[in-house]
Amino acid sequence: MRAVFLDWPGLALKSFYWLFVLYLFLPLSLMVAVSFKDASFISFPLGNLTIDWYAKVIQDKQFLDACLYTIMIAAATTAIATVIGVWIAMLIGSLRGAAQYVAFAVACLPAVVPGMISAISLRIFITTIDLPTGTVAIILGHVVHAVPFVVVMVLTRLRSMPGNLVDAARDLGADSIVTFFRVTLPYLGPAIFGGMIFCLLLSSDDFVRTFFLGGYRPTLPMLIFARVQSGMSPEINVMATLVLVVTAVVGLYAEYLTRRSRIR
Amino acid sequence: MEPVVQFENVRKSFGSFVAVENLNLNIERGKFVTLLGPSGCGKSTTLRMLGGFETPTSGRILLSGRDVTQVPPNRRNVNIVFQDYALFPHMTVAKNIAFGLELKGVDNRQIQKRVSELLELVQLQEFASRLPSELSGGQRQRVALMRALAPDPDVLLLDEPLSALDAKLRQTMQVELKAIQEQTGKTFMFVTHDQEEALTMSDTIVVMNNGRIEQMGDPATLYNRPGSAFVATFLGETNLLRSDVVGAEAGEAAVRWNGVTIKTSAGALSPKPGDAIYVVLRPEAIQCSAHEPSVANRVQGRIRQRVFKGNHTSLKVEIGDGHLLNALVHPSEVEGLSRDDIWVGWPSEATTLIPSRNAAS
Ligand SMILES: Nc1ncnc2c1ncn2[C@@H]1O[C@H](COP(=O)(O)OP(=O)(O)OP(=O)(O)O)[C@@H](O)[C@H]1O
Ligand SMILES: [Mg+2]
Repeated sequence: MRAVFLDWPGLALKSFYWLFVLYLFLPLSLMVAVSFKDASFISFPLGNLTIDWYAKVIQDKQFLDACLYTIMIAAATTAIATVIGVWIAMLIGSLRGAAQYVAFAVACLPAVVPGMISAISLRIFITTIDLPTGTVAIILGHVVHAVPFVVVMVLTRLRSMPGNLVDAARDLGADSIVTFFRVTLPYLGPAIFGGMIFCLLLSSDDFVRTFFLGGYRPTLPMLIFARVQSGMSPEINVMATLVLVVTAVVGLYAEYLTRRSRIR
Repeated sequence: MEPVVQFENVRKSFGSFVAVENLNLNIERGKFVTLLGPSGCGKSTTLRMLGGFETPTSGRILLSGRDVTQVPPNRRNVNIVFQDYALFPHMTVAKNIAFGLELKGVDNRQIQKRVSELLELVQLQEFASRLPSELSGGQRQRVALMRALAPDPDVLLLDEPLSALDAKLRQTMQVELKAIQEQTGKTFMFVTHDQEEALTMSDTIVVMNNGRIEQMGDPATLYNRPGSAFVATFLGETNLLRSDVVGAEAGEAAVRWNGVTIKTSAGALSPKPGDAIYVVLRPEAIQCSAHEPSVANRVQGRIRQRVFKGNHTSLKVEIGDGHLLNALVHPSEVEGLSRDDIWVGWPSEATTLIPSRNAAS
């Protein structure tokens, strides 16, 4: 028989969950809603809806250029961080005992160093070696930050790999390089893919490092920041909404793909 | 003919622990050889040394006459079927099987031909494009076997390949494995700790214990004429009777066990009166009856336990003061026998003598 009394703890648990969801989505929904408002200031009630702001943003040269620049930096960051991350993960995976823990801790350090500190130190570093601020410096900063995430994801997958897959490949005549490319790498595939998506999102979202290391050409976060400085307008809501939609889609799609490959 | 595999004084230690001690073993081409022994006795280590995954601490391993002791796994002509198959999860069945052939540089047409031949051998043709995760345990097992056979190794190594299967499937696979071995004429080196599996499939069984070879020979010899107490108890069920020799002449011996005099054939041994000795008496060699039987050895006893097992009945018969003999008899033999007063008997050829110095361990 089912209990007839009220399940207070259960109820509390559920209510808190829904409160949290509200807290999460209310600001986002407001932002999205205002992007459809047909006036140039942010207020309620919304009144008439329009997509004029979208049309305007889509034709905004500065916005498009910032998007392109962001994507370029994210792509470069991802490519470099993935190679380095997989490399380091393989190295850590081959170590034993204390060396393994030390190497892992060092590899993870950039993920926990505060962004501000890391940005300032990198800024000082590039000035010292006479590297100008700008694209290369930004990528440098983003890669340092992204590598640990790739390492952790790849290493987790590597640890779940049955040891004798490598033995089997060796046994069938593969040297260690062939084994890596034909057996280990495909096995790590889903984790590498997940790590790459993470790199893309981290890089395109980064503000602090970009702010300290960037030149005159703004990335998307910097552009939005500059626009906000000169006053809020629904245009900003539109940009933010577009970013939100794209990142959500990319994130969910990646999750779907990795889940599917994990089932296999 | 030259043996395909030769272990010469091979020893393997991990730190101070000796896993394999002074191993000398020759394996003839085309034979099904089984390494049998309890867990931790060094079977896998022996196999892995032959596969190239462990380097002997000392000694030599020859493969088809060539010293391969220091040769890495990818450059020796042996292949392993791993216990959990180790199929490449991202490759189809056909790709898995083709892997070794591709690395050997075989051309594509021949690879396809060979793969489909092998798939046909185990009736998995329509599974060629499936992934390993889409196969049953038995099917994976067959694919792993074919993948290892594909590059045509000098020896196929199998490390407990059947242990992950359920009892029924294991029996089917035992038969199938043996059939494939006979069909292909390959040398199989099989590792198991399951004595029944070893008896079913092998041409030669190598019994190992504590890193050493205890005895080797064909299944019937090992079963009927065990050379040590360990082999006797490890292979099948047995009564191991600690006795004293009371008389010996012309290949016959009389021993005294528990107040009972047992006549036995001495085999290759020449026991002397006063020697301590073990008598191996297989349970199925014992017959039971209500009246005194007319075999060389007979003694009265009481049934202490009787378990009906379908095609046979398992008995524990108490002889004298508390000594038990295990017997396996046909159920009809013990029907209507009184529990407290029966005769058990066995012919003198049914027993084997083991010197007591071979009884240790
Ligand atoms: N890499 C290693 N380092 C240390 N000891 C090892 C190593 N590999 C094996 N051993 C030890 O060597 C002994 C023999 O191991 P092996 O794997 O050959 O046993 P096995 O006969 O295959 O047993 P099982 O039936 O349990 O598989 C064991 O006691 C094991 O603990
Ligand atoms: Mg083993």
